Order: sequence, then structure tokens, then C-alpha cells
Amino acid sequence: MGDPKEAPSEKTRARKVKEGVKGVFYGMAAHGHVTAALRTRMYLEHLFMFITLGDMLGVPVIPPYYSLKILPYAVPNIKSWKQRVFRERDFTDQVF
Amino acid sequence: MAGILETPFLWVIATIAIYAVAYWGYGKWIDRNIWRSDAKKTTPAHMYMDGVEYFPVSRYVLWGYQFKSVAALGPILGPFIGITYGWLPALIWIIGGNFFIGWLQDYGSMMLSVRKEGRSFGPITYEFTGAKGRTNLLAFVLFYLIIISAAFIALIAVFWNSFNGTTFVPTIGILVAGLLCGQLLYRVKMNVFAVTGIGLALVVLSLYLGTILPVKLPWGAWNVAVWGGICVLILYLAAILPTPTFIQPTNYLAFYPAYAAIILIIVGALATPFTNVTIQLPAGPFLNDPQGILGPIWPILFVAIACGAISGWHSLVSSSSSSKQLDLETDALPVGGGAMLSEGLLALASLIAYMVLTPLFVFGDGSAANPAHSNIAAWPVGAATLVAPILGIKATTAILTTFFGLVLVIYALTVQALVTRFFRLVAGETWGEGRFRALGNKHVATAVGLGVPWAFAVTGSWWALWLYFGGANQLLAGLAIMLITIHLAKVRARSRYSLVPAIFMVVTTLAALVWQTATFAYSVWAYLQNDKTWIIRNVRPPIQTDPNLLWAAIAINAVFVIIGAVLFAVGLSMAVRLFRSYSKSLAEARTRAPAAADGGTQEK
Repeated sequence: MGDPKEAPSEKTRARKVKEGVKGVFYGMAAHGHVTAALRTRMYLEHLFMFITLGDMLGVPVIPPYYSLKILPYAVPNIKSWKQRVFRERDFTDQVF
Repeated sequence: MAGILETPFLWVIATIAIYAVAYWGYGKWIDRNIWRSDAKKTTPAHMYMDGVEYFPVSRYVLWGYQFKSVAALGPILGPFIGITYGWLPALIWIIGGNFFIGWLQDYGSMMLSVRKEGRSFGPITYEFTGAKGRTNLLAFVLFYLIIISAAFIALIAVFWNSFNGTTFVPTIGILVAGLLCGQLLYRVKMNVFAVTGIGLALVVLSLYLGTILPVKLPWGAWNVAVWGGICVLILYLAAILPTPTFIQPTNYLAFYPAYAAIILIIVGALATPFTNVTIQLPAGPFLNDPQGILGPIWPILFVAIACGAISGWHSLVSSSSSSKQLDLETDALPVGGGAMLSEGLLALASLIAYMVLTPLFVFGDGSAANPAHSNIAAWPVGAATLVAPILGIKATTAILTTFFGLVLVIYALTVQALVTRFFRLVAGETWGEGRFRALGNKHVATAVGLGVPWAFAVTGSWWALWLYFGGANQLLAGLAIMLITIHLAKVRARSRYSLVPAIFMVVTTLAALVWQTATFAYSVWAYLQNDKTWIIRNVRPPIQTDPNLLWAAIAINAVFVIIGAVLFAVGLSMAVRLFRSYSKSLAEARTRAPAAADGGTQEK
């Protein structure tokens, strides 16, 4: 067995280079589009949460009966939703 | 084989070597001793991870993203004006500007945002200069976006009108292929590789169609105005439609030809000793524009070549999204600094594409048939000259010049689509409430954000717009470096390495804005003294050539005086606030216990 502290083998180095090239290519071609799609989904989710659980903010958009029915599905998202919704945002955050 | 000194080869090698020193020498030193980046420190990407805006991304991915976000038309067309003073001053600025200022700004903006919990420049400006400072920044950015839009719309219109009309069909081809790819990807849920293959096949087909179906408008001097109108319509759709429908797939497809062109040119430049492509342009005349149009080398050269040496737009990108996805603090240097130095190489490649052409072809002779500073077809021809020998085809091959012409168009169009969307969002922020809330409406804001620039684009000279754009862009860079300097002063780190570049950029760009504004004001004054030569110099045909439209030339010059004066006033006001904040921060920091740039650890 080789020493774990030994310098990385040719194979490991080649794999790292391949991963690096793939990463650069993905970053150039697609990363911006992926984050833009994630952001679009985030805004839609904000809207969904606001409509279904608006009571939490004092804005009862739909009757509480339906909100209660949706509650078990919405609960796992509440923490991250609050985190995103309450985050300070500025026009300079919208560049890309 | 051509003599190695006659080709651009040596300059490419020298620039790469100097950039290597900038990265591994100066860059590493600043990273270790001024910012003290720490791989063990939690970055905002981990601290606030939400999988949407904040999440850690590999440095390779982020480098690719950062490079793609900052590299556009600036490093290609800036050198076209810069070479007026000779290729050597342009090259020195691309090397020196990037070495001492460019990468420092991109990297510093990213580090500042990381140290400020991923916040972007708006909130940071608010923290350092108060509510008025942020409002000032907002006003400046609005004007800046209008000027960028005017310059880019003018260029797209002129590009479509040039190259024998061969670039319009491929542009529409990319847009249609983009729309189709968006539908295939998101609605049909087709595999991304298959979609890419179909999209690229359509791009190649549209390139071929462009060469056999050139589109030439029949309205003579009004052609550019009509092309500008078509461009505005496309941009309106891009700004209004959801991004996955239009901008996303179009930008994705456009990426392939745009980056293939960069790689081809750099390979072509490195192969020049073997392909016998030699430098044709003179290295000088250094101090002044021989045709007496642009002005002295300082400050004009430093605003003409923006991206590639330094650009304020990059500071917005670095502090907006990249800083929120930085895995380790130590990644800021390769991502921010590395991407900027790579963009310098793109500017170098563009400069070389001009260097291999004859002075007459590049500069014109000032006659009506071959006016000065108007041959923007120079870059595709220069690029084709470099690349044709390695592909084994003639430089005059229509498909090659069409390809490089298309690359120019798509660089401008894809960035302008994002700028228009950004303008709409900023307008919404500015006028969303209050008496002028109609201006915050998405359709009205987009119409204003395109209509006003279109009016500038079809009336003013593109180089006049470019210099205003460069002035505003470089001033934004100076202001961004001042924000970095204030932070360093607050944490008692050495700030002179950013203070000196910040002062240089602020003074130079304000001087450039004064020069430009004075040129337009002088043109109006000269007209009042019965000298009409100046007033028509700053406008484009048909206003330039039709004596009945002289009133329009006067109006445009007067409007440009106002634009320049407003940009100068807002920029100066912002600069004064930042310098005051810096001085206050220095005084406050002296009274506190010493701390390092990371804001916490005691200094050794």
C-alpha cells in the first residue's frame, strides 16, 4: 500500500485536471443560467408560501382551512423561506 | 518564417509572463499580507447557504462564470480607439493597468463583499457613506446604464450595417435557435447535449445562410437608425420575456462561437512566427491623436481601453453573485484576480488583431469615403488575418469574416440584453413608489431604457459614446477601489496599494469627462462663431451630412454637454463622499486597537 502522504499519482492528477476543465466549461456555459433558474424558482416559491401561509405574516390570502391542509408540506420550507425573504436585497444584487 | 520581432509573438509571451508575475508575485503578496485570506474562515456561501443565492461552488466553475460575466465587447473595441496613440501605449496600459489596478479591483471587490457577509456594493456604500451616498450611486448607475446601452445599440446597428450585411441572418439564426433550444430544454425536457447539438447545427447553418443571403437596407444614411430600431425591438423582448424563454438559451448558444473566436485568435497570435503574419501598425505616435479628434493620451487612452485593463462593471459582478458562492476565502485570488488577468489576454488578442492591419485600413484617411475612427470592421478582418493561415484558408473567405463579425454582434447583444434587464430593475427600485411610479412599470422602464439610448445611438458618433461609456465605467472602478480602500483603512490594514490606484482612476476619469464635455461645449461655441466643422464632427450621418439637419447636430452636442456635466457632477459628489469617509475611517481606526484586514485577528 502506498503512503497516503505520497504525491498524487498521474491518474489522480489527470482526474483533477479533467474535473477542472469540466468545471471551467460548465462555469462559462451554464452556471449563470442555472443560478438564474434557481432564482426564478425562489421567487415563485416565495409567492406560493405567501399565498398559502400568508397568515403567518398577518395577510390571510386563502382561508385558513386550506392553509392547514397544506401545512405539513410547507413546514420543511418555512425556515429557508424566512431566511431568504428577510435577507437584505439591493439593486446591486441584481446584476447577474 | 518571419523575424520574431516583426510578429506579435514576443509581445504575447511578454504579457503572459508579466501577468504571471502579477498573479503569483504581487497578487499572492497582497492576498497574504493585506487581505490575509484564510481558507479556514467560513465564507458567506457556507454561513448563509440556501441553495439558491448562497452556496459554495468549485473555484474552477466560479472562475469560468466570472470570466464569462466580465469578458464582452469592452476588451475587443476599447483597443480600437486606444491604438490611435500607437499599439505600444495601448499595450502598456493593458499590461500596467491590469497589473496594478485591474485584478486588484476585481479581487478586492470580491474580498470586501465576502468580509461584509456577501453584501453587494449598494449596502456597503450605504454603510460607508450613508443614505445620500447610496442614492448617489443609484443615480450614477442609472446614467451609466443609459450610456452603456447607447454605445452598444450604436455598435450593434453599425455592425449589422457593415460586413456586406452578412451578420444579420446569423444573429437572427442564433436568436431563433436559442428560442427553440429553450423550448426543447424546458418544455420537451430533451437532453442538454442533444439540445446543444441541434442549436449549434442551426448556428452553423445560419452562418452559411448569412454569407449567401446578405441583408442590406435601402435607406442609405438612415440605415443605422433602422438597424438600431430593430435592435431595440429584440432587446425589448429580451428584457420582458422570462429569462428561461429567451435570454438564457440564447446566451448559452452564443457562448460557443464567442469563445471559439477567442481561442482561435490567441492560437493565431502565438503562431505568427510560423504563419508570417507581421505587425503593420506603428508603435506611436504616443501623445496625441494625429487626426485631432480624440484628444491627448491622458486621460483619453485610460478610458478608451476599459475592460482588459480595468472596468467598474467587474466590481458589480464580483460583489453581486460570485462573492456569495465562494467556497474558500483563498479562492478569491484565482476567481476574481485570475479572471481579470485572463481578460487582459483577451484585450491583448484583440489588440494584436488590429496590429496586423495597415494604418490606412484601421484609421481611415479622414475623407468622406474613409472617415477616421469608423472602420469597426477592422477587428473581424484582423482576426481573420491571424486565424486564416492556421486553418489553411484565405483571410478574405466570407464565412470567416462573417463568423468574426457575428462574434462582435453577439458579444454586444447578449451583454446588452442583461444591461437592459438590469436597467429595468434599477428603474423599478428608483421610481417604484411616489409621483413617478409609472416609470417603474416594467414596460415603461424598458421603453425608456432603450428609447433614450437609441436616440443617442443613431445621432451621436459611436466613439463619442464609447468615451462617455469608458469615462463612466472607469469612474465606477475608481469608486469601487475607494470602497475597498475605506474598508482596509477601517480594519487598519495597509491601504496605500489601493488608495493610489483609486486616486489615479478617479482623477483620470473625471478629467476625461471634463475633456469630453468641454469638446461638445466647444463645438456649440464654435458653431456660434460660424465654424460648423466641430458641430458635425460629433454626430453621425445623416445629421452629419445633411445641412437641413444642422439643428439636430446642435441639439445632440448640447445634450451631450448636459450628459457629461451630470455624469461629472454625480461622479464628483460620490468621490468626495468616499474620500471623506476614507479620511474619517483613518481617524477612527487610529483610535482603536489594531486589527487585521479580516476585521478581527490582532495584527502581529
